[in-house]
Amino acid sequence: MPPSTDLLQGTLDLLILKTLALESMHGWGIAQRIQQVSRDALQIGQGSLYPALHRLEYRGWIQSDWGASENNRRAKFYSLTPAGTQQLQTELETWDRLSSAIGLIVRQTPETAS
Amino acid sequence: MIRRRLTHLRFLLHPNSRQELDEELQFHIEQSIQQKTAQGISPEEARRKALIEFGGVERTREQSHQQRPGWWIETLAQDIRYALRGFRRNPVFTLTAIATLALGIGATTAVFSVVDPILFRALPYGHPDRLVSIGLFHSLEKQEFTLGGFYYYWKENQTAFSSLTEEGGETECDLTEHNPARLNCAYVEANFLPTFEISPFLGRNFLPEEDRPNGPQVALISYALWHTHYNRDPGILNRLIEIDGHKVRVVGVLPRDFEMPRLQPTDVVMPRAVDIAAQHVVNRGIGWPMWAFARLKPRVTIEQARESMNPLYRDVLKIIPPEFRQDFHLRIRSLRDRQVDDIRLVAWILFGSVLAVLLISCANVASLLLTRVAARQRELAVRSALGASRGRLIRQALTEALLLSVSGAAAGCVLAAILLKIFVAIAPAGIPFLDKAALDPRILLFTIVLSLLCGAIFGLFPALQRPRPGALAARSTSSGSHAALRRALVVGQIAGSMVLLSGAALLLRSFHNLQSQNLGMHTHGVLTVQASLTIQRYASNQKKMEFYQQVEGALRRIPGVSAIGVSDSLPLAGLHDGRRYADLLVDGRPPTPPNTGGTVASRSVTPDYFRALGIPIVQGQNFTEEQRDLPNESFMILSRLLADRLFPHQNPLGQRLRLGWNDDDAWFTVVGVAADVRNTDLKEDNQPEFYKLRHNSEGDWNHTILTVETALPPETIVPWIRTQISRLDPSIPVDVEPLRVKVSRLADRPRFESALLGFFAFTGLLMAVIGLYGVTAFMVAQRTQEVGVRMALGASRSSILRLILWDGVRLIALGTTLGLAAALALSRLLRTMLFSIGPHDPVTFAAVTALLALVALIATLLPASSATKVDPVVALRYE
Repeated sequence: MPPSTDLLQGTLDLLILKTLALESMHGWGIAQRIQQVSRDALQIGQGSLYPALHRLEYRGWIQSDWGASENNRRAKFYSLTPAGTQQLQTELETWDRLSSAIGLIVRQTPETAS
Repeated sequence: MIRRRLTHLRFLLHPNSRQELDEELQFHIEQSIQQKTAQGISPEEARRKALIEFGGVERTREQSHQQRPGWWIETLAQDIRYALRGFRRNPVFTLTAIATLALGIGATTAVFSVVDPILFRALPYGHPDRLVSIGLFHSLEKQEFTLGGFYYYWKENQTAFSSLTEEGGETECDLTEHNPARLNCAYVEANFLPTFEISPFLGRNFLPEEDRPNGPQVALISYALWHTHYNRDPGILNRLIEIDGHKVRVVGVLPRDFEMPRLQPTDVVMPRAVDIAAQHVVNRGIGWPMWAFARLKPRVTIEQARESMNPLYRDVLKIIPPEFRQDFHLRIRSLRDRQVDDIRLVAWILFGSVLAVLLISCANVASLLLTRVAARQRELAVRSALGASRGRLIRQALTEALLLSVSGAAAGCVLAAILLKIFVAIAPAGIPFLDKAALDPRILLFTIVLSLLCGAIFGLFPALQRPRPGALAARSTSSGSHAALRRALVVGQIAGSMVLLSGAALLLRSFHNLQSQNLGMHTHGVLTVQASLTIQRYASNQKKMEFYQQVEGALRRIPGVSAIGVSDSLPLAGLHDGRRYADLLVDGRPPTPPNTGGTVASRSVTPDYFRALGIPIVQGQNFTEEQRDLPNESFMILSRLLADRLFPHQNPLGQRLRLGWNDDDAWFTVVGVAADVRNTDLKEDNQPEFYKLRHNSEGDWNHTILTVETALPPETIVPWIRTQISRLDPSIPVDVEPLRVKVSRLADRPRFESALLGFFAFTGLLMAVIGLYGVTAFMVAQRTQEVGVRMALGASRSSILRLILWDGVRLIALGTTLGLAAALALSRLLRTMLFSIGPHDPVTFAAVTALLALVALIATLLPASSATKVDPVVALRYE
């Protein structure tokens, strides 16, 4: 696997948790929502969405229930657990720290460096 | 954390997650299709696009599934199921592998468990590695001892030891209280326990004043005696008990694991109370014999101790008569070395042979696994092509190897327990600690780990190699390196079993020689009768004589008894009296130089002794009953060996002999010459021997054994004998035993040795043959097509047979040659264990080689002959 996967995977977890923090949703809905909110910039590899969902579920951060979808089909809805809310908080903090750190380096100009 | 575990548990118990996952993915794709059809794409096209967008459904399914916490258990179960299916399809392979492993593990564990307490057990003393045994070594007494004359000089002047102590051996003693018992009493110096760092379980050690002549009478009793006789009474301390009629104060109880350094049985330990000054006077000034032990000072080695003790030894050597001096040497060795002395060689030989069996069994399992893997090259290639990762293939191979090893180990544990029982049952009495031998879990673990490793390495080895792309297309042929490795393993197995077989054959033939030799006397139909007379009731020899004479008379009246012999000892059954050859003085001849001739056995017998044991008088005549009542006339019968030596070209009859140099010693008249009897043990050369007539006078009745010749079976006559004696004195314990049993006990050791080595040799041979058969059968299967082609081109069956056989014969020849060389080199180790057979006995080696070659040839012939039955048409269509 390419070395960037770890970062991507961590990011995917964060995106899923953030999306579910608003409301419970099924897999398709999560993929759609992330795509819409990011204005199509983030295309979730649909193949990696479900392993990620299952991983989060086994960790106890999200839970699933079967319910009816918008068009009345049986679908699996995921929602955040209390542990997941906590985890989201931690991951957001980590993300903020990380992105601001990266931002500092990436946006550095020759003048500020000297 | 608990919450998380609970979550895991929930998922583990959740059964239909696969179905749910399918439904979930199905929903996702349907949504995607719906979205696309809503954009105006045709349903077929929408479906196609949705699937492309999603990527590998199957892969997602697998990956999602692998997120489950317990998914590896599932694959393990899968691997096991797959392995079991494979084993069921191939029961011969499976059973052979398990049986091989079980034999290897079982035999190794059982033997290590026997050998471990002998060679490596922890001695029950503090810092036992610092303890040494020190003493004089003489060619007649190979276990070192010392003498009072040496010991006390050493004790005063030595510098190498932090402590030097001695014990005076043990004697039988009687507990003469309300509940009498026959005990073993040992006598030790006061610093004995501190030197060995033994602290009493109860009470205290001896005080210095208790270890002086005429000091207070005190004793330490063994834990067992305290337990059985005094019911663990804590009030035992300071109690007076009565030993041989003397009041003795108990000052302590010895620890439970206490043992004397020479391992003699001990119930009571008492102070030596030696009169040190007298040690320079008694026993012609050399002092009484004793056994000395010492604790080395820190950082002093045994070699340094030897160097520092040697001058002290030479200082005292002058007290030994000059003609004997060069027979003595100083010996210092570790206590453990002394304890394992003569058993050590046997233990190491067992150790070596069991290691050979273990290696052979490992080689066998390895070669079986390699064969199996070679046959499965194609299967592996197919699985790999279908997307099984290398990790998965390795895991599968490992699972199979481990499954085999675990089953083999389980069977091996059972076998080890059974074998250990058998060993203990057939082992002779002289092997120390065998009664304590138990399956050692550490050893079991070691052998199991070893076999697991062996299985894992050889199971993994092929799986680690990337399946060659050709393997899928080509007929499954084994790779060259594997074939070479397998052949090497077979050669090694044959060589190993050759070594084992030749060792076993030598021991077996030696044992046979031992058993079938002419003893010079009857052992069948002869019973020995021994009574333990208590010192209390039979204080004088007069009383003893009266008792035994009554017994002799009573036994004579039992119907079916044809002769009652009375003697002080029996050949091949315990110790006998002896004299120096130089002590025999022939009337009218100058004395023999004092240091020549070795020792002569001496026995005091009644006339019926020769009749009871069937020893023929070859010259002159037997003693007569009337002579027994003539105490002033001394008569003697010589053994053939002694007669020939004393009177080479003379008639021995009527010659007069004296024992010793004193002028007032009696002269014995030689009345006859008896045929030689095996009188030392089964292996050593006979000693010359003379028989003195046992008179009806009290001086001759100190030690007494009766021999009863009878045609009746022992079951019938033993109770009669017991009844007759108990009628005379019901309180006396009587020991009645067939002489045959007593003598055959001497052969226990060789029987044990040859049985064990024979067992290993058989196991090794069996496994080598299995290995050879397996490899040949496999090679035949590999060459089916080749054979088909050859036959289609006109090769005859016999030439095919030759072709296949030739392969096997080369392996056998190589293995046998290597094995023969190794066996010839190693069999020298057995020399001291062999009786009237050389370690390089050509007949034995030829027979073993022939046997091994024959059995191995049959193992090749069976699969080879099946190759000739190949139908060329079938073979060619096989692909």
